[in-house]
Amino acid sequence: MKAGRVRRFVANVLAIAYKEASLLRHDSTVVQNVVIQPVILLIVMGFALRFTPQDVRWAVVDRSDTPASRRLVEEIQTSGYFAPVRHLRSYGEAHELLGRGKLVAVVVIPDEFRRAAALGRPEVQLLLNGTDPLTAARVAGYVTQIASRFRAESEPADRARKGEPASGGPGRAPPIELREEFRYNATLRDRNFYMSALAGFLLTNICLAQAALGLVAERESGTYEQMLAQPATPLQIILGKLLPTVAASYVALTIGVIGAGLMHGYWPRGNVLLFYAATLPFILATLAIGTFVSALARTSAQAVFIAVFFIMPSFVLSGSMLPYALMPHGVREVGALFPLRWYQILSRRIIERGAGPAEVLVPVLVLVTIFLAMLVAIRWRMKPRLG
Amino acid sequence: MSFRRLAVLLRRETLATLRDPFTVTILVLVPLVALMLFGTILSTKVSELGLGVIDASRSASSRRLVAELEAQGAFVARELATRADMDRAMLAGEIGAGLVVPPDFERRLRAFERGGPPPEIRVVYDGGEVVLAGNAEAFLAGLATATGLALRASDGAAAAGALEAGASASGVAVRTTALFNPSLDGTPYMVSGTFGFVLSFATTLIIAVSIVNERFSGTFEQLQVTPATSVEILLGKILPLGAVFSADVVLMILLAGFLLGVWPVGSALFFIAISTVYLLVSLSMGVIFSATSKSAAEAVSKTVLASQPLILLSGFAVPASNMPLPFRWVSELIPATHYIRVSRAIYLRGEGPIVLFPEILIILLMGGALATIALRAIARRQ
Repeated sequence: MKAGRVRRFVANVLAIAYKEASLLRHDSTVVQNVVIQPVILLIVMGFALRFTPQDVRWAVVDRSDTPASRRLVEEIQTSGYFAPVRHLRSYGEAHELLGRGKLVAVVVIPDEFRRAAALGRPEVQLLLNGTDPLTAARVAGYVTQIASRFRAESEPADRARKGEPASGGPGRAPPIELREEFRYNATLRDRNFYMSALAGFLLTNICLAQAALGLVAERESGTYEQMLAQPATPLQIILGKLLPTVAASYVALTIGVIGAGLMHGYWPRGNVLLFYAATLPFILATLAIGTFVSALARTSAQAVFIAVFFIMPSFVLSGSMLPYALMPHGVREVGALFPLRWYQILSRRIIERGAGPAEVLVPVLVLVTIFLAMLVAIRWRMKPRLG
Repeated sequence: MSFRRLAVLLRRETLATLRDPFTVTILVLVPLVALMLFGTILSTKVSELGLGVIDASRSASSRRLVAELEAQGAFVARELATRADMDRAMLAGEIGAGLVVPPDFERRLRAFERGGPPPEIRVVYDGGEVVLAGNAEAFLAGLATATGLALRASDGAAAAGALEAGASASGVAVRTTALFNPSLDGTPYMVSGTFGFVLSFATTLIIAVSIVNERFSGTFEQLQVTPATSVEILLGKILPLGAVFSADVVLMILLAGFLLGVWPVGSALFFIAISTVYLLVSLSMGVIFSATSKSAAEAVSKTVLASQPLILLSGFAVPASNMPLPFRWVSELIPATHYIRVSRAIYLRGEGPIVLFPEILIILLMGGALATIALRAIARRQ
């Protein structure tokens, strides 16, 4: 008796899933979402998006014009972050070019640079274009670092001849030497940051859009009533409708994982099977949210609007695009309500750091909780309409 | 073209837009939420980052070093026993950086004063979070130098000499002045970019859905059998929505000003004028997306699919100037890039029409081209 009921339940779900899958196969937007989207994101996120400044437009106002000052300019130039230097005559010119956004940074070397260097207190001024604070802060960091290692007064060859160490001793080296090491991503490649969160972007787009449109589209075209007339319960209908989307999600995920490997040489460091298994609660939670949106909305346009304006903040606030640890409290906590926050945490842990099941248990549990909470909400919302 | 017919169309469209409570909600809610969320998220500072500490030295100096690092609010230190513990904590995301102080730290700090090599500290960063690691690196390096100097200075005997030596110890000192945004606060940058986000994304979606819905309910065909020409139909769609969104720009300026304290440095009127010109671009794109789709779902799907890479490449969240060269060219082809650039120039640097003329010209040209395509798309439907 019980086994028969289970079998009927599964058969119903599969029948609806089959019908949905054959519909999806003929829907060109699904193909776009599942195949074209991963490719576009792989290209844009893998090649284009960078936090590291490149070819920074900069200039020098060298009032000292000594060999030492020219050497400092040369050293900044050869660090690799900067475009060829421009030489400016005056402070006013520097301000004007910064103001017009033509320059990001201007190094001003005072005329007493050489004298100050002899006294052991050389100083330069760095004017930054604060319009883009992220770039400005980075550039300030580069220049400060190069300058701190710069020995204005030293003639290394001289000292070597005298048998003195090139560095060491008070006044020669920073008082504490930092031996730095970057785990998991030794060269700090920005690409890794995006590639390890790529799956989250893809799946959010696919699952939300599909699930959000699911019920509402049926209601609009009048097939919702037909569906209710079927010998299937609402739960079976929803599960059957969502099953093909789950399959489509895994196809997109696979394209994303293999694409990142082939295109960027970036393969997951952790267990791929664990990653695929941990993805399921995220897909379910996102689909549940989409279904809830679908149950809330009156037209498919509304459903999609709500879905889209759920997608964008979840990308930004989850920490997928920018680290959430930089966000102020309040916003950070709002971001924790999005399933993508937890998925990007677990996906970065497995893909980038090679974490095992124990390290991703918490995010998985949170995702399961979100899923269950949304199921309760959907049930509450659907009841009156089906009564 | 008949102005009487156009006036009727304008009235019809305005009423239709403002009558729908959902559209009105979107018009108010999207700018508000976008400003509040995006406005506050960009920060160049490190705060409350987990810092694992293995203190093998267990000396007064090492404890002071850690205390100094914590005192700034940037790090929350956690005592760890072994390197394995540190690896585990980093893997589990509990710490973003780790500090290993060797057993001979204090001894070498003293030896350094007598001319020996400086003491070493090992720092491990979680490279998976590139931005955090980069920020933390800059911060730790600066702080360690300062703390090291302070440690030596407080050592009594060597105090006076150490401070003197300290000045030159760090090579050339750099005094940094950030123009237009002295505290390198991320809010004005993100706020001025959010205008680009809302005007590119929300507008395109609203018009695309509105046209497809009309076609769905058959009212678009009704419009097309009226004597109205396709130019009039297009203008009848674009002008009222343009006016509604211009009002939205004013609303956003006020919200950003009162809620986030970010007002444009330049002329607000000039900014509203440019935004209105830019609306021509987004609205035309919406018309094109809807004219080439069969259902509202398809139109929206197209809009979203096209908008995401466009927004990513336009420099809204990640600076476009950091992209490698071919992508910078692609970025120049995106209207939103130019609008966001203009918006930042007016908002942060207070620039006027003369300096921004080339950018405005590009937006106008793109708008003209897109409007022509949109017109063709509508005409073909007839």
